Amino acid sequence: MAGALARVIQGTKSHLGIVAPLTGVSNVPVRYQQTQTSPGKTKYGPLADADRIFTNLYGRHEWRLKGAMARGDWYLTKNILLKGTDWIVNELKTSGLRGRGGAGFPTGMKWSFMNKPSDGRPKYLVVNADEGEPGTCKDREIMRHDPHKLIEGCLIAGKAMGAQAAYIYIRGEFYNEASNLQVAIAEAYQAGLIGKNACGSGYDFDVYVHRGAGAYICGEETALIESIEGKQGKPRLKPPFPADVGLFGCPTTVNNVETIAVAPTICRRGGKWFASFGRTRNSGTKLFNISGHVNTPCTVEEEMSIPLKELIERHAGGVCGGWDNLLAIIPGGSSTPLIPKDVCATVLMDFDALVAAQTSLGTAAIIVMDRSTDIVKAIARLIMFYKHESCGQCTPCREGVSWMNKIIYRFVEGNASPKEIDMLWEISKQIEGHTICALGDGAAWPVQGLIRHFRPELERRMAAYAATCGPSKAERLY
Amino acid sequence: MLRQPLTRALALGSPTRLAPVTTRRYAEQAQAQPEKVEVFIDDQPVHVLPGTTVLQAAALAGVEIPRFCYHERLAVAGNCRMCLVEVEKSPKPVAACAMPVMKGMRVKTNSDLTKKAREGVMEFLLVNHPLDCPICDQGGECDLQDQSMAFGSDRSRFTDIHFSGKRAVEDKDVGPLIKTIMTRCIHCTRCIRFASEVAGVDDFGTTGRGTDMQVGTYVEKMLLSELSGNIIDLCPVGALTSKPYSFAARPWETRRIDSVDVLDPLGSNIVVATRTNEVLRILPRTNEEINEEWLSDKSRFACDGLKRQRLVTPMLKDSRGNLTPVEWEDAVVAAASALRDCPPDKILAVGGEMADAESLVALKDLVNRLGGENVCTEQYFPMEGAGTDLRSSYLLNTKIANVEDADFVLLIGTNVRFEAPLLNARIRKAFIHKETDVAFIGPKVDLTYEYMHVGDSASLVKDLASGTSGHEVMKRLQSAKRPVVILGADQLKTKEGAALLSYTQELASKLQENLQEKDWKVLNVLQRTTGQVAALDIGYKPGVGPVLASGPKLVYLLGADAGVVTREALPKDVTVIYQGHHGDQGASIADIVLPGAAYTEKRATYVNAEGRAQQTLPAVTPPGKAREDWKIIRALSEVCGEGLPYDNLDEVRSRLAEISPALVAYGNVQGNNYFAQALALAKSVQRPVSGKLDVQLKQLEDFFMTDPISRASPTMAKCVQAVLKQKQSPY
Amino acid sequence: MLQAVGRIASLSKPNLSRSLPSLAICNSRYASSDPSCLKEAPIIDTDAAIALPEEQRSRRALESSIVVPIKVDLSPVSGVPEEHIKTRRVRIYQPPKNAMQSGTNNIHHWEMEFDTRQRWENPLMGWTSTGDPLSNMKIEFKSPDEAIEHCEKNGWCWYLDEPKIEKEFKPKNYGVNFSWNRRTRVSTK
Repeated sequence: MAGALARVIQGTKSHLGIVAPLTGVSNVPVRYQQTQTSPGKTKYGPLADADRIFTNLYGRHEWRLKGAMARGDWYLTKNILLKGTDWIVNELKTSGLRGRGGAGFPTGMKWSFMNKPSDGRPKYLVVNADEGEPGTCKDREIMRHDPHKLIEGCLIAGKAMGAQAAYIYIRGEFYNEASNLQVAIAEAYQAGLIGKNACGSGYDFDVYVHRGAGAYICGEETALIESIEGKQGKPRLKPPFPADVGLFGCPTTVNNVETIAVAPTICRRGGKWFASFGRTRNSGTKLFNISGHVNTPCTVEEEMSIPLKELIERHAGGVCGGWDNLLAIIPGGSSTPLIPKDVCATVLMDFDALVAAQTSLGTAAIIVMDRSTDIVKAIARLIMFYKHESCGQCTPCREGVSWMNKIIYRFVEGNASPKEIDMLWEISKQIEGHTICALGDGAAWPVQGLIRHFRPELERRMAAYAATCGPSKAERLY
Repeated sequence: MLRQPLTRALALGSPTRLAPVTTRRYAEQAQAQPEKVEVFIDDQPVHVLPGTTVLQAAALAGVEIPRFCYHERLAVAGNCRMCLVEVEKSPKPVAACAMPVMKGMRVKTNSDLTKKAREGVMEFLLVNHPLDCPICDQGGECDLQDQSMAFGSDRSRFTDIHFSGKRAVEDKDVGPLIKTIMTRCIHCTRCIRFASEVAGVDDFGTTGRGTDMQVGTYVEKMLLSELSGNIIDLCPVGALTSKPYSFAARPWETRRIDSVDVLDPLGSNIVVATRTNEVLRILPRTNEEINEEWLSDKSRFACDGLKRQRLVTPMLKDSRGNLTPVEWEDAVVAAASALRDCPPDKILAVGGEMADAESLVALKDLVNRLGGENVCTEQYFPMEGAGTDLRSSYLLNTKIANVEDADFVLLIGTNVRFEAPLLNARIRKAFIHKETDVAFIGPKVDLTYEYMHVGDSASLVKDLASGTSGHEVMKRLQSAKRPVVILGADQLKTKEGAALLSYTQELASKLQENLQEKDWKVLNVLQRTTGQVAALDIGYKPGVGPVLASGPKLVYLLGADAGVVTREALPKDVTVIYQGHHGDQGASIADIVLPGAAYTEKRATYVNAEGRAQQTLPAVTPPGKAREDWKIIRALSEVCGEGLPYDNLDEVRSRLAEISPALVAYGNVQGNNYFAQALALAKSVQRPVSGKLDVQLKQLEDFFMTDPISRASPTMAKCVQAVLKQKQSPY
Repeated sequence: MLQAVGRIASLSKPNLSRSLPSLAICNSRYASSDPSCLKEAPIIDTDAAIALPEEQRSRRALESSIVVPIKVDLSPVSGVPEEHIKTRRVRIYQPPKNAMQSGTNNIHHWEMEFDTRQRWENPLMGWTSTGDPLSNMKIEFKSPDEAIEHCEKNGWCWYLDEPKIEKEFKPKNYGVNFSWNRRTRVSTK
């Protein structure tokens, strides 16, 4: 799920909130203000080939060190490192890069939290490669076809935060990806690019790969840390934030694979270049995964703020049976609320536009559902996934999600009372924001999206059930 | 009426919980207190130390935030979400138990958002909680019940119970003390944290995830801990309940009497729950200076031994050598005439392990009035050197609570874990939270924490005392700011005991001299039984050996059941009077049996290993014809013609106060001094030691049955069996 | 009058931990300020009325320093049998927290209770019976002072049992669970 769950701070309406005072950064620019388009730029996408960061996304070229270097990786990395921590962080801040794992926290700022005066503890960079969010398949492409981008990114990010080592926590199911990554790391060690005196810059940096065991929750950053430490992957409360007490009790930053992998290119081509894509505060390029009822499902790098409709029609060959056959789209991986067709037609694919549409960019994993979809069953299946993956640590998620699961499966057949729709909504609200991590939120949002946009469908099913089987038992009970 | 030195004052005007605590003055004295921050709990300003949690700050403001998983003596888990509160400027409610306060934070513990969050969590908890309160042993003292009354919703909307029902979980078998009904579990993980942090047995954990998460031991095994009973208290619901007490009573039917435990030398504070003159269960009572709020399993579960093997009627040996029940009159007359007829120097009175101070003083006064001098305790203590003249030589001078402020603990020949489980819990607490290191001289035992094993030879103590030891422990001891040396009283029984004590005193005083804090006490002697300290205070001679060898004509056993006086060791024509509450070793060799009262049946004074006098209160009346012990002796003295000069308890206690005011300074403990003098006297007995130090209680199975009450307890017997069975298991 | 008694009692008794009936005390002014007189307008002493503030203060100081103990004893009139006054002992204590529960709502007061006497199971119904009329006399007080005063008035011997529940305040910290060099975290939960 690759950090989609890190969406701790993102509500649909309330902003930033608690994070600011806690981390001691009180003057964070208000990130979620309504975005104005930058002057002069009204059209976003398509991305020119020259501006692509992931030039081997489809594995058509050599993924090893030689091929990577041919594509420009590891080019003058030493110079970047020698420019120093502040320069890298500044460049990242200029670029406006926001975390690609789902929460969209500004990366430059996140890295700058690590540059507090040292108290003797080592610092660590943790790369979240536990990409488990249903619908998402961007990080695996990077790791199997462009692993050197990630490793170089680790080195640069590590330098930017003064980290001693990077741990790449890779999803257990990604066997080939872990294997490629491991080979790439070995190559980089042999070439002196990482390890002692990395790239000849005088900076020592190690990269370790840690394979997970297949729990979705281990994509949540603190659960991931627990998992690396060898404990059950159960999220921790925040505060303390990982930047304070993280891996092995040391300051740690957890970043998504994509976030880390774009960092070297940003440093090379400049933050300004990266910021020139997309709307302000939503800048850059992004890997979009388009799956579901489209003619050519794909992963593609595109400019941020590209209209959803254009993205699907240009890269995914359009919705099966034409745009009019579209029912709804889940725009950012399974945990984001779905949006119906009319919203899809106009919405831009960036953080702020999707928040305005009462959903979220998440991991930008677009799941397209056409009219043949049983939408209730689709959402029910997602809830079942969350019920299965809930770690069981905190009450609302453990008890609430399984209860929602029970209810929504009754909704699938209509064996429920229309009054229970409001109850389900309320239960989802009772889970959302009350849990330790964002898995509870991620489970509540799809339900909320369903009720928000498909309430008539739910009611229709209940009426149909009542017509054939008599009134539901729930009708009498509730 | 009672005239005695008035004991410690109570500051009547300020019974505030936040007052500086005198007894814990060692804690972080030197550190300057950081500046306090102001936070607002429901608009009420509170000043708290930075880093305090919202829940604690609210408690200071007098607002109690509901909680399930939070327990102040365990690590913060933050997973029940019951303590969610609204904080101004935060979009989401925050978990008060884990959230540190920030300057100017405004917490609303009673706002709509907070109430809604609590109600939501309550609803979720009840979704899978079986509503079997009518048959649940926790009913009436259940946190879930309490809090659903206060914070829950007034009706259920869990319609799915009619479709798919609730979760059901298989029960676990974790031994003969704890009954598990895992379906009721709300996964607060208190039991897990207790087992791993306080008890030091890492057997509990969770398996599975989501709704399938279960608390358990993974492979079915017994919880091998001497503190396991505490998880029953900790469990906020009825998932873990007491097996011996199951289906016995409801909390509102029982009468609770505050009392003091006597089964280990610490004198843990307890609450005795009774109904119809029957002790149903024993619960711990908070005493921060002794047991905090824990209780060892023996103290908690041995109470069913109070109903078995009891001596309920006076008995005399008849012509055929059988003990036959008689009336009190006959027994007292027989005992008195035996006492009168015996030459005074041939009377041996032995104070037992659970004898209270009142009966001990009465017995000593009686024997002295008859002209005898031989009043002894069962446990030996070396009389060479200062002997028992200086209290500091036989007490736990550091005090139990201060042990957690120690930075190095040296244990000499004492398996604290089983001899004084709660002292061990304190050491473990220091080990965990203050990084105190522990060294141990004696056989290798499991103390639930890591320690440096120095060896088991007594000569190691000599080397440490003389400073010739090259062991790392020597350096650690010398560099320690608050070292503690604890010597097991068992070691003093041997021939080398006196020398060992002397060396330990020397070591302690050398360490003491180098300390910055002059009032920190280093030397500790951990007694094995409750009765010993009071007996030594009153002037009993430790050990019966010499008197036994001289061939007494009359032996008066006051609850002496340790088996040091046996028929074989006594001359044929001896008369043995046994006074006590259980038909144990002592009664089996007796000619005259006078039934006494157990600790739950009398108001009596016990002095714990620290030298702290505490009193038990009568919870039930003694069974049958049994009577309070000091009254029996008083009656006996009357018949002997040597009437003791006290007729009621207050007068007995005045007599105790005459002997030592410390014996009636209830609840308080005085500091001891004269370590140097004790050492000076003890120097003369220093001689080479070569033996090996051994402890009596090595394994958990040794722990459960050590005294007449626990030996009579079927629950304790089951525990021993279960532990032995568990030891056979591969897990 | 009761207030006066209470005030004086609290002034002079903070050092007691049990009753000493001979020391039961009262105010000397109690004699002059008979409650029946209070219905009438106070008689103002002219000397006092014209005195300077300093003089008034010193006069007041002198006045209040004269305290003569007088025993207030309700026992002869309370109707309680003498056996239950002379031989019983009252324990004044703060109820302990039930170890089984987290709540602390009902333990913030002081109680008095008599010593336990024999109880037995009623053979008819299985209820608990007792021959002790005072066995259920549990009275709650806000402070130990009030309890002591009550006992003194009734002529009961009392003693005070202070719980040792004060403890050093330690801020709890969630973060220490995850610190690596300490010994706190050995297992998962």
